[in-house]
Amino acid sequence: MGERAAAASLKFVTVQANSASLAEARARVFEFFKTTCRSIPTVMEIYNLQDVVNESQLRSAVSSEIRRHAHITNPKVIDMLLQKGTEELHNIVQHSKQRHHIIGQYVVGQRGLVHDLGTKDEGTSDFLKNFYKSNYF
Amino acid sequence: MAAASASSFTSLKSRPAPGLATIAAVKSGAPLSFSFRRPVPAVSRLRISCAAKPETVEKVAKIVKKQLALPAETPVTGDSKFAALGADSLDTVEIVMGLEEEFHISVEEDSAQSIATVQDAADLIEELVQKK
Repeated sequence: MGERAAAASLKFVTVQANSASLAEARARVFEFFKTTCRSIPTVMEIYNLQDVVNESQLRSAVSSEIRRHAHITNPKVIDMLLQKGTEELHNIVQHSKQRHHIIGQYVVGQRGLVHDLGTKDEGTSDFLKNFYKSNYF
Repeated sequence: MAAASASSFTSLKSRPAPGLATIAAVKSGAPLSFSFRRPVPAVSRLRISCAAKPETVEKVAKIVKKQLALPAETPVTGDSKFAALGADSLDTVEIVMGLEEEFHISVEEDSAQSIATVQDAADLIEELVQKK
């Protein structure tokens, strides 16, 4: 794990991405994704996320962020997004962010706040539950 | 790819050594055919085609199914291609990363490009695990 993290952090000394074609931008995206995935064990250790989430969940959070922009075809836009992503990754790995940022943005993520499965309504009847919802049932 | 290399492996066995055929032809006075096949080094071919253990293939299949959210009954064998199972390129990279984490290996860029089926991935994993 130590050498993976060291190898990942070396990549932060990068030049500005300037892709000539969509294929080159695509390759850069995959490289960025791999760097991120290899930094995940470091991130989990820095922010003590071992009880909250596991590595594959973080990995799928990262890939869903990338997939949100999967429809873009302009290499310059892709470069810009990659730069933002690299900056974000850099901030996270350097511990410039805090634990609640990581949990809010990547663990809980786009689903919004976790709805607690409240036990308060479990005993009541179906009639009442439907009654609270609407007039017509 | 594994099936092709396996079939070439079996055909190596059944093909007689080219030198013997030429010598036999000379002795019997039959017209020499100079179109004999090049002698193929058998040793390096053998290593690649019979590499992966079934439990490695099983583990790879489990990771693939989890990543692509396939139902448990879907048949994922050694020959299933990732693209046929519904994985796009980002999914393939993610599966490779999952395998890196699971087996504690590090896959190089050019090796990762050549992975197309489950069997390829299992063979590559075996190779890297042995090197460690």
